[in-house]
Amino acid sequence: MKHPLRRLARALAALALIVALAAPAALAQEISIGMLADLSGPTADVSTPYANGLRDGAKYINEAGLLGAAKLKFTLVDYAYNAQQALSAYKKFTSQDNILFLQGWGTQDTEALTQFVTKDKVPTISASYSAHLTDPAKAPYNFFVAADYSTQVRAALKYFKDNWKESRAPKLALMYPNVPYGLASIPPAKEYAKELGFELVGEEIVDLKAMDATAQLLRLAKAAPDFTWIGGTTQSTAVILKDAQKLNLKTQFFTNIWGADENLPPLAGPAAEGVISLQAAVAYGQDVPGMKAIEKLTGGKPQMTHYVRGFASMLVMAEGIKRAQAKGKLGGEEIKAALETLRDFDPMGLTAPISYFPDDHRPNMTAYLYVFKGGKMELLAKQSLERKKEWLGK
Amino acid sequence: MQDKCGLFFCSYRAESALFPSGFQRACLAAFLLALVIIPLGINSYYVSILCLMNIAVIGAVSLNLLTGLCGQISLGHGAFFGVGAYTAGILAAKGVPFLLVLPASGAVAAMAGMAFGLPSLRLKGIYLAIASLAAQLILEYVFLHWESMTGGSNGLMLMAPEIFGLKFDSDIKMFYLTLGVAALTVLAVSNITRTRPGRAFVAIRDHYLSAEIVGVNLFAGKLQAFGLSSFLAGVGGCLWAHYTNFITPEQFNIGLSINYLAMIIIGGLGSVLGAIFGAVFLTVLPEALNAVAALAGQMLGGDPTASLAALKGGVFGLVLTLFLIFEPDGLAQRWRMAKAYWKLYPFAH
Repeated sequence: MKHPLRRLARALAALALIVALAAPAALAQEISIGMLADLSGPTADVSTPYANGLRDGAKYINEAGLLGAAKLKFTLVDYAYNAQQALSAYKKFTSQDNILFLQGWGTQDTEALTQFVTKDKVPTISASYSAHLTDPAKAPYNFFVAADYSTQVRAALKYFKDNWKESRAPKLALMYPNVPYGLASIPPAKEYAKELGFELVGEEIVDLKAMDATAQLLRLAKAAPDFTWIGGTTQSTAVILKDAQKLNLKTQFFTNIWGADENLPPLAGPAAEGVISLQAAVAYGQDVPGMKAIEKLTGGKPQMTHYVRGFASMLVMAEGIKRAQAKGKLGGEEIKAALETLRDFDPMGLTAPISYFPDDHRPNMTAYLYVFKGGKMELLAKQSLERKKEWLGK
Repeated sequence: MQDKCGLFFCSYRAESALFPSGFQRACLAAFLLALVIIPLGINSYYVSILCLMNIAVIGAVSLNLLTGLCGQISLGHGAFFGVGAYTAGILAAKGVPFLLVLPASGAVAAMAGMAFGLPSLRLKGIYLAIASLAAQLILEYVFLHWESMTGGSNGLMLMAPEIFGLKFDSDIKMFYLTLGVAALTVLAVSNITRTRPGRAFVAIRDHYLSAEIVGVNLFAGKLQAFGLSSFLAGVGGCLWAHYTNFITPEQFNIGLSINYLAMIIIGGLGSVLGAIFGAVFLTVLPEALNAVAALAGQMLGGDPTASLAALKGGVFGLVLTLFLIFEPDGLAQRWRMAKAYWKLYPFAH
């Protein structure tokens, strides 16, 4: 006769066996991550290559087995640079896809989600390099792989000052759009320029969608700046450069990370010659270990530097996950802690070495200065600054 | 259906009743009950969409009051929404309790709305639209440059709202809060349409000269419409700020204003129900397109997000155009037709 209890015991034992068998399978799991991209909005021209870099990064991580038996599974959502759509995409990520990590995109989504990722403990790498995201007191779960906007412009100013031969003070002019992204680098630029002994001779607003910048450039021409900062996007930079060429304005233009890329020579033609672009990643085809992987994935088809940065941010994320795995438990908090142990981590040579500290999320203090020569971006210098405490988050 | 065929009102009171029949009251009660219960059983992604819908409903219904009912085209609604959000952010940071912040956000937005509504005395139609565009641009500039108050490009951080010690820090709690405010807004606007000022708004819209002849004070009427509409927009902005916990000037750009206009056009100008339909429709549309993209990805393999992304902007424009051509009276009219079909079935003629 079968005792009902025995049947129950047998059922329980079977269940226990299934759970025991399933548990390691669950450990050799899929690691789910979310990606936000703007494929149809105002920043689609630069977000699309960045998103391709993220995708190919995931592919590379899975194929090379960087995470051991675990595989990355990503969900990419196009949020059209709209805070509301970013918010609902994020809710979908956390409640349906159970993401462990978020690869964000611009200012709009990153800032809107700062508090949410903190509350939900979802480490985030974004392509919005606002300095205030580097302060863990304000944004403990935010990371990125390039020097922040303020550090970039400071590094450029330092480079120009160090290479300044004349006895008079160098003259600086600033051109930027009246939007949060354009304004972010202006106070640090002014402050540091003053400290270094630049003379600020002009400040002009050029809209991101400007078709003409002649009026602003005519005013600047009178002040004859030696260096002129352009803090817009590639399109507005092209407009400024072409008008400057028409007016025969001789000044060393330099732009921030979104202000000039591989699209500039086709847009601005010969006017792009000699312009300096501040970047954080190597250009396509440069001889670093990571480029081999990228060349293989893209079949040798040149990609923009934004692609390379997307790829590198995936490598940094993978390193964080790997270190957290090694410690045992894999969760948002653990990955964040693991990322904060990175010291001069080299993402296969694709960016400058990256370190995060529990009280300082500035990845590095290095900007790559590229100069446009013959329609190509050539590395001019790598300028590093001291990791000053008072610059954190500013 | 037990309804009578034709109109048999014996008093003005009965004619202007919000819910003339018991059946309607029962339907509404069932709908509200469903709204209260459903979020308990779905995951927080869907709850957050419902939450955004509630906020969109407040914005759309309030714009409808101004544009649909009073006929004053406003391209600055997103900015008034932003004024409410920033007021909420600034006051909340000073420790003012949420129950005071909510009406205060509305009040400040109403003042801004009335100030920018002043040109409506002299301007009509497209000229007023351009004047309200100025409001949008000026307010955006203020958000960005009044750094000591708005945080400038760094934005403003907020905490979850708290009412009598109860913290609204999850999607579901925020849903009930926004639902409550949205329901009150809809009720208030529905009632306004039945009052003297509400009828004055319609008179101003339909023929300003006749309105003035029958004793409507045009200037006061228009300013009231601007004030009321901006007040509600400010309340919506306050909720948005407390829901996202973070506001930047970019959130309240011209795109938001146009989105609200699109909502009331798709829903049906002048109809409270239409504004609700429009708000729901335009909140769901991008999510639905994303879901379609994801589904297509699963079925076809690969990643069609990129190729479908290009379509999204087009779909928005296409939907708007198709509505204007085929249903200029909006979703509200479709709804009335569907209701009439069942009511008159099988003798539709």
